[in-house]
Amino acid sequence: MGYFLFRRTSGFILTLLSVSLVVFLVMNILPGDPTLSILGIESTEDARAVLRARLGLDAPLAERYVTWVFHALQGDFGDSYTHGVPVISLIVERLPMTLSLALSGMALTVLLALVLGITAASYHKRPGDWGVMLLSQLGIAVPAFWLSMLLVLLFAVKLRWLPPGGFPGWDDPRAAVRALILPTVALAVVQSAVLARVTRSSALEVMRLDFVRTARASGFSRRRILWGHVLPNALIPIITIVGLQFAGLVTGTIVIENVFYLPGLGRLLFQSISNRDFLTVQALVMMFAAIVVTANFLVDIAYVLIDPRLKARSR
Amino acid sequence: MIEVQNLSVRVGDTRAVRRVNLSIGAGERLGVVGESGSGKTMLALALMGMVPDGLTVDGVIRIDGNDLSRASETTWAAYRAQKIAMIFQEPMSALNPLRRIGDIVAEPLLVHQGISRNDARQKVLALFDETGIPDANRRLQQYPHQLSGGQRQRVLIALALACDPSLLIADEPTTALDANIALRITDLLVRLSRERQMALLFISHDLSAVSRTTEDLLVMYGGDIVERGKTRHLLASPSHPYTSGLLSARPRIEQNAGPRRLPTIPGTVPSLFDLPPGCRFAGRCDRELPICRATIPQPAATVSGGFASCHLLNQPSQDQTGQAPR
Repeated sequence: MGYFLFRRTSGFILTLLSVSLVVFLVMNILPGDPTLSILGIESTEDARAVLRARLGLDAPLAERYVTWVFHALQGDFGDSYTHGVPVISLIVERLPMTLSLALSGMALTVLLALVLGITAASYHKRPGDWGVMLLSQLGIAVPAFWLSMLLVLLFAVKLRWLPPGGFPGWDDPRAAVRALILPTVALAVVQSAVLARVTRSSALEVMRLDFVRTARASGFSRRRILWGHVLPNALIPIITIVGLQFAGLVTGTIVIENVFYLPGLGRLLFQSISNRDFLTVQALVMMFAAIVVTANFLVDIAYVLIDPRLKARSR
Repeated sequence: MIEVQNLSVRVGDTRAVRRVNLSIGAGERLGVVGESGSGKTMLALALMGMVPDGLTVDGVIRIDGNDLSRASETTWAAYRAQKIAMIFQEPMSALNPLRRIGDIVAEPLLVHQGISRNDARQKVLALFDETGIPDANRRLQQYPHQLSGGQRQRVLIALALACDPSLLIADEPTTALDANIALRITDLLVRLSRERQMALLFISHDLSAVSRTTEDLLVMYGGDIVERGKTRHLLASPSHPYTSGLLSARPRIEQNAGPRRLPTIPGTVPSLFDLPPGCRFAGRCDRELPICRATIPQPAATVSGGFASCHLLNQPSQDQTGQAPR
């Protein structure tokens, strides 16, 4: 287990380093001059040169990269060109919003997918199965932003049950949860539709195995067999997909936060790209990458926790 | 305690098991032999109420006087483990790989008897002791993949015995095991049946395992019981040509016997969907009569004191000693 953790942790660090290199190169190769967007198109070339020197943009690319990484490691991502405050404080301010949304979206995704997938598997080739498969086909086909607008029209505008957007902060938990409901549903529908299918096929595979027959011969109820014996054995492919989907969820928040007007990282990223706020964009992309890589790191550890046979092999 | 009358398992119009009658009382040990595809596993699954979807069961299955042939899945579940338990051929895959052995064997106790975790643990240790699993305290914490095949089969037996069933069905319990381990497992089953006064239905294609384990024997072929009787007598003087064929196809070590080719029964068990209209063994039988292909033979008394369904037994002019031709 120790060696396993060491290997995974070094992989984690290497991945983030490669991401930082790609992000930095892309941001610096793409056309667009930050000094132009800060000073405006009427600014003189001299003024821009002064600013460029002050921002350190005149140094060679490699030197700028090393400086950036070195500072980033200390939590210093520079100051935002547009907001004039440290990028890190912008991120810290908005991270809880995005994490709440992503985690609640993931929780709802997993809950829906397991219930639907296991139900479908237990009614294999019967109406219950077809119903779930039809629903999931619909879920996969519907674009998240369109679904968001429908949800707002129905539950916020017409029924007035839930707020149409915005986030009051966690000081008022009740209001915060209410504000999160619609974005969470919009985020989870597509993801859970995919995951329900994975759950169904994985469970069907496990249901054919001999130990399920042993469980049946032991007189256990259908529910106990499905949730207690089949599901745990079907989890490995399911959490693999959960890990991959978490990336989709985090990037999905970019769209959802803009539709629901939520002050999170996704919205900040969208604004920063529009404003050519390079340092903020770089930091945000790194942030998203770190979240996704962390999720996959956790999935790798979960494998070993679920299956005792992997523990022996991972030493 | 278990009584079966006219039991058939059908796939549409075809019968995988045809009109089987049997009964096993407390402490009795009944064997079922036959090749793969003879319907013996299907018979066992029918007795557990576990035939695969799409198959139908006809006839009467009476357990402790209650007819279960039309019982729902929930009713059956109440009988499984507590009245009838079953162990399977593949000890390697028959245990949930993610659970500790102790938890696996304790589960039926917790579910069916509602006893405390601590009491269940004590009971599991007693079961391990009874089924000859050494080092019980350490085994509780181990996972199935850490055990050998023989140990896993013992765990399966302990699991089956957890709720004190009155009948244990063992479907080819020794097939996947080494010969010397198989021997110990069959001895264990006999001992458990004696000590617990538990009925045992032992299914195997291995005649020596069956002869060591059981008192009474059914020989199945193509879903039919072709011969039945006391195991010892039946194997000593088989009446049905199929039983004789099975016996002579057994490898033996004989003194002064030079190298010989192992006799086999020609052909294979006919497909369920392609059965002959008369005796199902017709076409593979070395003593076939003209009547065999047309008429289904009825059971008749044999010299071994049992019954066999074979036209040879009703032929006055034919050899009626029941001795198998060599």
